[in-house]
Amino acid sequence: MTPPKPNTVEFNKQKTILYARVGPPGSGAARYAAAMYFYNMKLMPVEMLEIYRRCSKFDDEDPNDLATYEGVQDCLLDFSTSLRKKT
Amino acid sequence: MESLACKMNTNVRDIAIPNDWDRRGLPGWCYHSPALLELEKEKLFKTHWQIACHVSDIPEAGSFQCFDMCDERAIILRDPNNEVRAYYNICRHRGSRLVVKEQGTCPNALICPFHGWVYNLDGTLRGPGRPESFPQMDKSKFGLRPIEMEVWQGFVFVRFRPGPQPSVAELMRPFEEEAAAYKMDQHVPTDGIWTEKSPVNWKSVRDVDNEGYHVAMAHPALQDLYGSTYKDEPFVDGVSRSDGEFTPTKGRRWAVRNYKKMSMPQSFLPEHLQKRWLYYGIFPNSVIAVTPETVLFYQEFPVATGESVLRSATYRNETENRQQRAARYLAARIDRETVDEDIQLTIWSNEAMASDSFEGFYLSDLEYGVRSHHDHLRKVLPIYTLDDAPNEDELSALNTSMQHTGQT
Ligand code: FES
Ligand SMILES: [Fe+2]
Repeated sequence: MTPPKPNTVEFNKQKTILYARVGPPGSGAARYAAAMYFYNMKLMPVEMLEIYRRCSKFDDEDPNDLATYEGVQDCLLDFSTSLRKKT
Repeated sequence: MESLACKMNTNVRDIAIPNDWDRRGLPGWCYHSPALLELEKEKLFKTHWQIACHVSDIPEAGSFQCFDMCDERAIILRDPNNEVRAYYNICRHRGSRLVVKEQGTCPNALICPFHGWVYNLDGTLRGPGRPESFPQMDKSKFGLRPIEMEVWQGFVFVRFRPGPQPSVAELMRPFEEEAAAYKMDQHVPTDGIWTEKSPVNWKSVRDVDNEGYHVAMAHPALQDLYGSTYKDEPFVDGVSRSDGEFTPTKGRRWAVRNYKKMSMPQSFLPEHLQKRWLYYGIFPNSVIAVTPETVLFYQEFPVATGESVLRSATYRNETENRQQRAARYLAARIDRETVDEDIQLTIWSNEAMASDSFEGFYLSDLEYGVRSHHDHLRKVLPIYTLDDAPNEDELSALNTSMQHTGQT
């Protein structure tokens, strides 16, 4: 796979997956995979990636809730709040 | 009943039964030797093409199907470019099973359930869990290991190790034209992939399936359906063929009577295939069968000397009307009945192999298919030619030395 680039089709796809509604089967794993994508781009800190990893088997778990609870800073993406769907 | 297709095949393959042939089967010890079973796993099952699934089992990007056989595990996956790919279902970190479910969809990536390594759908490593705990990694070195794979008429074949067979397309060439008429690759799943354990040696399953001599005795429904039109062509160059054409009788049994009534001409099939069930045997352990309503595969794998896994799946035409669907259900019912009858036969036959008083097969001309399969086995593993069981500890080495001296 080619190295990730911002604002490509793949970038936008991963962004959508990262902020998709919590709940659907497999969504936890998909979010973690997307988080790894943004970590590789240096757009997400390793602590937040770990939050996503911990939530990866729990589709109903909102990583942002866990991040808040653990006091981990949300991802560095500037679009993080504007795009996140309210659940 | 001699169809065009049969004549065509006769021209290509020498399917004549010799006048004088050795009518014995394999010696009884071959059915309960653990050392031979290990050799069979390595030299037959892992080195010969195996049907993993059908392309319709993985319909969209991210769809996967797992396939386990003889301590090997594969994952068949459709990547974002719609390409079918096959990998070992083994994480490069510590070897965990990467995909746990039998079948499903992983739209974004594959994630190992052990420590969370993430793999892209093209098999490359996206990243390890807790990446900061590793030194700088060359991710290209940690991609999933691919398995040799080939799609033939919609069926996905894998081969775990290099082996003596040519490509699947080459192997199946004698039937290519006939098989293509069925548009197998455009079929879709019916009730998924079915597996069942059976308490017999895998060869007892194959021995029963490789002859039609027992049909009239053991399969009243098949007899009612195609009766004496059924015939077997032996294994030649790794493939065999059997078929039966519906007899003109109405059918005495409920399912057959109604099946014959419901089965209707398929627009895409030439006339001589409209009322025919056809089976292609693929050495050592697989069959693809076609009816006007369905295509299916079945296969068996050894678990232990006295235990095998039977695995099969049926696919249907994507567009089918109510009558065709009814015909398909009836065909499945006839088939299920047949499978149960065969399982019983394999158990009875397999039991004999453990008995000292059984002196071995004495085969009819109608069972030459069994002989031809055994001859294929002997060619791969000359050890099968020994009448008496060799010492278990020396079996593998002895087989190797027989191979070198050309004893088959
Ligand atoms: S074994 Fe797969 S992540 Fe460790
Ligand atoms: Fe049978």
